Amino acid sequence: MPDGKGRSRVAVQAVNCPNCGATTAVRTFGHAVNVVCQSCHSILDAKDPGVTILQKFKKAMVVEPLIPLGTRGTIPGVSHPFEAVGFQVRQISVDGVAYQWREYLLFNPYHGFRYITEYGGHWNVVATLRSLPDGDHMPGNSGIRTYQGQHYRHFQSATATTVFVLGEFPWQVRVGDQAVVVDYVAPPRLLSAEVTADKEVNWSLGQYTKWTDIWTGLSVPGQPPVVEGVFANQPSPYQGVSGRMWRQAALLMLLAAIVWVVHLATARQQQAFRQALVYNPRSTQDASLVTPVFELDGRATAVEVETASNLANQWMDVGYALINNDTGQTFEFAQGLSAYKGVEDGEAWTEGSPVGSVTLPSVPAGRYFLRVEPEAERSGKPVSYTVTVVRDVATPVWFLGALILIALPPLMTSFRAAKFEGRRWQESDHATGKSSDDKKDDDDE
Amino acid sequence: MSRLYFVYGLIVIGIMGTAQYRGWRLMPVTEGRTVPKSVRDNPGSYRPVYGGFWHFSGGK
Repeated sequence: MPDGKGRSRVAVQAVNCPNCGATTAVRTFGHAVNVVCQSCHSILDAKDPGVTILQKFKKAMVVEPLIPLGTRGTIPGVSHPFEAVGFQVRQISVDGVAYQWREYLLFNPYHGFRYITEYGGHWNVVATLRSLPDGDHMPGNSGIRTYQGQHYRHFQSATATTVFVLGEFPWQVRVGDQAVVVDYVAPPRLLSAEVTADKEVNWSLGQYTKWTDIWTGLSVPGQPPVVEGVFANQPSPYQGVSGRMWRQAALLMLLAAIVWVVHLATARQQQAFRQALVYNPRSTQDASLVTPVFELDGRATAVEVETASNLANQWMDVGYALINNDTGQTFEFAQGLSAYKGVEDGEAWTEGSPVGSVTLPSVPAGRYFLRVEPEAERSGKPVSYTVTVVRDVATPVWFLGALILIALPPLMTSFRAAKFEGRRWQESDHATGKSSDDKKDDDDE
Repeated sequence: MSRLYFVYGLIVIGIMGTAQYRGWRLMPVTEGRTVPKSVRDNPGSYRPVYGGFWHFSGGK
């Protein structure tokens, strides 16, 4: 109760439990409504001078808070020291599975209460809201709520049951208390509403906090629980990263395109040799031949050898050897061609191509000739074909390869970001593959 | 991470530019064999090292 100057008056500083006789300190002075005996866990009425027992502890479950009551220190986002005064374990049940989380109540005589919640190794620092989110004061089961210009997406609605309490609380607390908890998320923030049985609504805002900040600020002993899964308002490690990478990818692709265009513009694509030939597969004579010598000048660049034939329902292989007339250095390659066409069930079809080309990498300048050895089906018709040698050809292979390699990392990052979000929302009422019946069951819990 | 990616992208473009300039190709070509000039006089004496082909022999 405040005195005439607005300061909190100390109502009770310690209570003796009428159940077990143990003395329990009261740290929140006049704010305490209920105090839980730290010895027998009976819930006592702190406002009653006679300290009546409101609820005796029946269950065998005793939960040791990771942040011991009486712990003092700072909490992230608040510069003033707070003291841990209360602790409760609450649970929801989804599809018959109970999920428990822990809530620590912290108190500063001048700045009131804050909460620290922990679920699966994920920590939040929570403060009650001084103003309501936009719209209805009651939470809904879906949609978006806006608070101070920030949009929060509905995550989950469930009925939470208090299963264990310790310390003191500025409200009536009982094991077995139930409230509908509705969460909306905008990582790293969590907007929550609690609706009690008598339709009282309390809104709060949580901030996802690293355990190290809590451990450091409050000098908590021991190790925190292992982090499990992805929490509702856990910030994504990929947040903003994939967007930045895609912007960089666009720039890199533009650079690659410029390099490609420069290559296209500077590639000479000079025809160095061309010869028309005829091959008769029925001939018993040796079909191999050599071409006249031709010049490949300039620096070592790619050389394309094109074979263009008049094949029709026939195949032909041409074995080539590009031989340096002076040094004897040889580049061996082959070109397989097949061209077929016909009509089946009134539908025309074609298969293969009578034209093909092979590109040789980094051929040094020099005087060359081709050794050509065609081969085809013995019973085939004579084939006319033209061999064309082009110096310094441009090919899009490297450009396309570069585009793929540039796009791959942002694609993977986007995939991982989507996977992270998928894991987050898998725990929500809006999980993919969750039926409407499942959602209804969750809501009814 | 994104800075590392940008450096990676520049390296990719560098390799691409070099490959284009030098005329590199992904498909290997048998190279390095030294053939005597006499092959011009008797092309049939040359024995290539490449293998056979798969042939589509028509029909749908």
